[in-house]
Amino acid sequence: MSNVHALILTGYGLNCDNETAYAFELAGAAASRVHINALINGDVSLKDSQIMVFGGGFGWGDDHGAGVIQAVRMKTNLGDKILEFIDAGNLVLGICNGFQTLVNLGLLPGLDHDYTTRSVALTFNDCGNFRDDWVLLKVNPAAPCVFTSGLDHLELPVRHGEGKFYADESTIGRLVNSNQVVVQYAMPDGSPALRRFPYNPNGSAHDIAGICDPSGRIFGLMPHPEAFNHYTNHPDWTRTKENIKRRGNTIDTGPTVGVRMFQNAVEYARRALT
Amino acid sequence: MTCRLEISLKPDLFDAEGHGVRQKAKNYFGIELTGVRTVHVVTIDADLSTDQLKTIQSEIFTNPVTQISSYDPLAIEFDWTIWVGYRPGVRDNPGSTAVEAVEDILGIKFGPDEAVYTSKRYCLKGPALTAEDADNIAGELLANDIIQQWKIFSIDEWNPYEGIGVIIPRVILDHTPTVATIPVDSDSTLKRISDERGLALNPADIPTIRSYFLDAKVQAARASVGLSDPTDIELEYISQARSDHCNHNTFRGLFRYMDLATNETDVVDNLFKTCIEVPTLTLKEQKPWVVSVLWDNAGAGLFDNHHYYVITGETHNSPSNMEAYGGAITGIVGVYRDPLGTGKGSKLVMGSYGFCVGPRDYNGELKPRLHPRRLLDGVIEGVRDGGNKSGIPTTFGQVLFHHGYMGKCLVFVTALGIMPSLVNGEPAEQKKTSPGELVIMCGGRVGKDGIHGVTASSETFSEHTPAGHVQIGDPYTQKKMHDFLIEARDQGLIKFITDNGGGGLSSSVGESARFSNGCEIQLEKVPLKYEGLDQWEIWISESQERMTVAVNPAHLERFLELSGMHAVESTVIGQYTDSGKLHITYNGQTCAYIDIDLLTSGFPQWEFDAHWQTPENRGLFEPALNDPKDYEDLLKDLLSRPNICSKEWITRQYDHEVQGASVIKPLVGADRDVNSDAAVIRPVLDSQKGLAFAQALLPSYSVIDAYHMTSCTIDEAVRRLVAVGADLDHIGGVDNFCWPNIQFHPQNNPDGKFKAAQLVRSCRALREICLAYEIPLLSGKDSMYVDGHLPGRYGETHKVSALETLQFSTISVIPDIKKCVTMDSKMPGDLVYILGTTRNELGGSEYYEHFGYVGLNVPRVFPDEFAVLYRALGNAIDKELVASAHGIFRGGLGIHLAMVAMGGNLGMQVDLGLVPADQVDRNDVILFSESAGRFIVTIDPENREIFEKIFKGLACACVGNVTSGGDFTIKGIDNTTLIEVPVQDLKDAWKRPFGDLV
Repeated sequence: MSNVHALILTGYGLNCDNETAYAFELAGAAASRVHINALINGDVSLKDSQIMVFGGGFGWGDDHGAGVIQAVRMKTNLGDKILEFIDAGNLVLGICNGFQTLVNLGLLPGLDHDYTTRSVALTFNDCGNFRDDWVLLKVNPAAPCVFTSGLDHLELPVRHGEGKFYADESTIGRLVNSNQVVVQYAMPDGSPALRRFPYNPNGSAHDIAGICDPSGRIFGLMPHPEAFNHYTNHPDWTRTKENIKRRGNTIDTGPTVGVRMFQNAVEYARRALT
Repeated sequence: MTCRLEISLKPDLFDAEGHGVRQKAKNYFGIELTGVRTVHVVTIDADLSTDQLKTIQSEIFTNPVTQISSYDPLAIEFDWTIWVGYRPGVRDNPGSTAVEAVEDILGIKFGPDEAVYTSKRYCLKGPALTAEDADNIAGELLANDIIQQWKIFSIDEWNPYEGIGVIIPRVILDHTPTVATIPVDSDSTLKRISDERGLALNPADIPTIRSYFLDAKVQAARASVGLSDPTDIELEYISQARSDHCNHNTFRGLFRYMDLATNETDVVDNLFKTCIEVPTLTLKEQKPWVVSVLWDNAGAGLFDNHHYYVITGETHNSPSNMEAYGGAITGIVGVYRDPLGTGKGSKLVMGSYGFCVGPRDYNGELKPRLHPRRLLDGVIEGVRDGGNKSGIPTTFGQVLFHHGYMGKCLVFVTALGIMPSLVNGEPAEQKKTSPGELVIMCGGRVGKDGIHGVTASSETFSEHTPAGHVQIGDPYTQKKMHDFLIEARDQGLIKFITDNGGGGLSSSVGESARFSNGCEIQLEKVPLKYEGLDQWEIWISESQERMTVAVNPAHLERFLELSGMHAVESTVIGQYTDSGKLHITYNGQTCAYIDIDLLTSGFPQWEFDAHWQTPENRGLFEPALNDPKDYEDLLKDLLSRPNICSKEWITRQYDHEVQGASVIKPLVGADRDVNSDAAVIRPVLDSQKGLAFAQALLPSYSVIDAYHMTSCTIDEAVRRLVAVGADLDHIGGVDNFCWPNIQFHPQNNPDGKFKAAQLVRSCRALREICLAYEIPLLSGKDSMYVDGHLPGRYGETHKVSALETLQFSTISVIPDIKKCVTMDSKMPGDLVYILGTTRNELGGSEYYEHFGYVGLNVPRVFPDEFAVLYRALGNAIDKELVASAHGIFRGGLGIHLAMVAMGGNLGMQVDLGLVPADQVDRNDVILFSESAGRFIVTIDPENREIFEKIFKGLACACVGNVTSGGDFTIKGIDNTTLIEVPVQDLKDAWKRPFGDLV
């Protein structure tokens, strides 16, 4: 049993908990799926985990803005405990609906160590619809983000209707300057997408797909690393396999970049927190 | 106090929803709008203080970064503004979640009369916009009067202080629940009352019902509980259970089949038994992987030693035809309850859709309730929200346009689940109720929803009458219930589970009580959405998102505790008994007391005359059509046909990879934009096994013969699985029949006997092909009245009937997902093979349809010959000799060679003279014949010898190769170049029709 524990929230319409837990297990953590109410009523304590994951889904149906009601419920019932968890140096990850919740809680971007004010938003995609597609992300090597350490480019699926990152220009400027912009949508050649659809699938300002807090321990992103938990998840895998076979090699079945993101977190937690 | 909060995006933010309205107004009606802004309206009908209102405004309803809001009307510029809200009683999902959020943040509980309602206001700018335009946009784009109400204001009549006013769509029934007694003194009295009350009792059933209630022993037993003549609730129960929807009277009917050409006759007693049940049970004996069929909400097959998969398919046609979004979301969310209610409960892992609608660009004179374009938009969005918000990937789907679906559209929804083989040490696929166990209703509450289905549509609306007959599914409530029930299952708390769908409690409790042989229900315990429902309404309401569960009393506390943790409402409404009676009370007063076995005894069988006319005798013939000259334009035009062209805009709206199990996605290839033959998922994440799933629809062949329509449909669905590497020894099927009415009537249905003969022939093909391919039918459903009466130009109405349609779904287990194959060409230099024989079979083809012909030579299936080829391909894929494999489906070889090339974004050259063919001497026949049993395969030239050895003696030929140049080149049988066109041009043509849609 691993000494790093990842707690993945469930309930109220969240839905990526099983594969997120699976991906964390692959990454070497002991992962448990915990109902939001089990945390609230005290059946489960945050203190037993080093990684808290706000996963994908449709909490409260995403009515009244994606992640809004989840943030209200968490803030009302668990706000202090989450802040204590962060203060203790632990890791928080928000994926898709979880990212939306983190920005509504104010845990991101955490400018000036203010973890309660909403200063950025994830709003409706410019394309006007929910979209499922794989995107290429460019990782900011200067970002303090624990999760993306050593990663350069990632391909991951997006699956959302409200993923357009928005903030006023000065806030975005601060995020850029402090290297809190962790992943950005990119063109197939790795150059910035410059908001071109579908490479930037939602019209996000500055092609922002994910940001971290100044410490790099709180990270939120719209794409789904947990949905790339096996090489056959990649849309090109049958093409890649054939290509590699012709060169007399076999396809790499090692950890995917999705799992490597979680491995980074587990390794950090093992080093710093246990 | 009632408050109305208006919320809008900040003025400098792009309003994607408003932009969508603007686009549609232009594209659909030619109305030019210069701007549309959307205002979300939250109406709070609760006693809150000013401070409380401020808190919820800022914390819940307004994002400080993106939104502005005000309890007064927002001053947003418009020329016209349209307010759209729900009618009373229509499910308002955001209204309900708002209540949860408000209660949570304020630490209060809403009273029974307090609520939050949501609605929208659209601010339209357009200098030339008229009142008529605004009315058009409101009624034809933004709202459907079945579920919504709207108000239109011009800027001149707008009061900036009052705005839209305060509209509270609360249901007020003001009615005392009453049980009525119905006299049974004569058949005609009962018939009359049945008609008056909308009971829809079948006249043939009436004598049986009467004789039961007039039986002296029955009367004595009834007297002991204070009952005499039948009550309304009892007759409603019988009516629901005897309906064609629940009892499949058509499929269980007696068919007198006659071939009018030969006068041969055949009496078929029960199509279900002879063509579905017997073959499936026969195959079950031979196939140990068949776990559970023909009795539960879904069928089950073996996935691995520790898991079973379950599958079922449904249609939700009539409601979708009236309210496309509501009907479709209710359909997909509803079918997801079937696997959940199979065995002791299954976790949902996948869904699929099939939409059959009228032409999207229809501009004829018939006036359907919803234009096909609007209808399609609605069903797409309904399945999108229903699937995505359930967290279940939608990995496969098809759309088919045909004029016949103008009368009634088809919305197919299919669901797959997975369960452990053992739950708490007991077989998970088995379940029963026992005396003493509690009857528990979980999930949503009961309202007047879905009562008597569409018959209610003719009722007039008042301000507070609930719009009950069309529902809006609530995936949020159901997802909570799903997670709760799977956990309860794993803790061994569930003895029996089934869903509340058609017939509501009447069906779910009635059917579950057959196992224990009785139940006692205290109807007053059923939680209601609002007061004033009659007892019979509570009993048969089809309010969604509910399951009925049997729980041992010893487990009740744990069950309710878990339910509470998951924020799911669960209520004990009675207990199972072995009294032999369905005993319902309301506040202690008996209102139903019926023998459980009444429904299985003595009701008459439905009967049909089925007269077959051969296609020749119906005047069908092969058209006199000469070989075309311009194949390039022909191919591009065929690729642009609505039933062939790309529909990527739909696929991408559906989350097809949630649960992290995606192996073969719906769109594949170098640009990830060409449809794959089948979907493959890895439903158990730490297993290397996969589930492959595909569907086929070929109703055009029914115009010639539904027998061949059926066999070709099954063959296509099988080939789709074979192409990705499925195991031919394990293929399960799901049949979904959608047929026009087959009961002959000289005026209303003059060709009913022919349609009945088509059904008999279709079922025969189902039996024969399934036996030949060894496909047990794991599940299936029928929808028998796919007709509509559409008003025309002069006030006349036209009956429009759908083509006889079968959607066939196939499922298989993939032993090793790493060996799966996709359809896109992979490498320049690879060899292109055609497997299977091309015959002169253009009858019913896309090619003939393009010219307005039907033809006669419909494709035929030769299953014994085909199966050998399929096994050989399976063998080649298993040996990893195949780079790509793709079935040749609708449109024929030309279309599907193009698909393979477009998938790979690589050129291809093919010589038609090399294509294995049987008596075909024309290029157009080779290119566009839709002969079944064929594939296109590309392989590494290194594998040539070993690949050809596998296919020795079979129809298999190398016809060309994949090229790096990017041109698609076809050489004709006379050695001339027929087509030489960049693959990109083909792709442009294929994507053009719907390429602008997102």
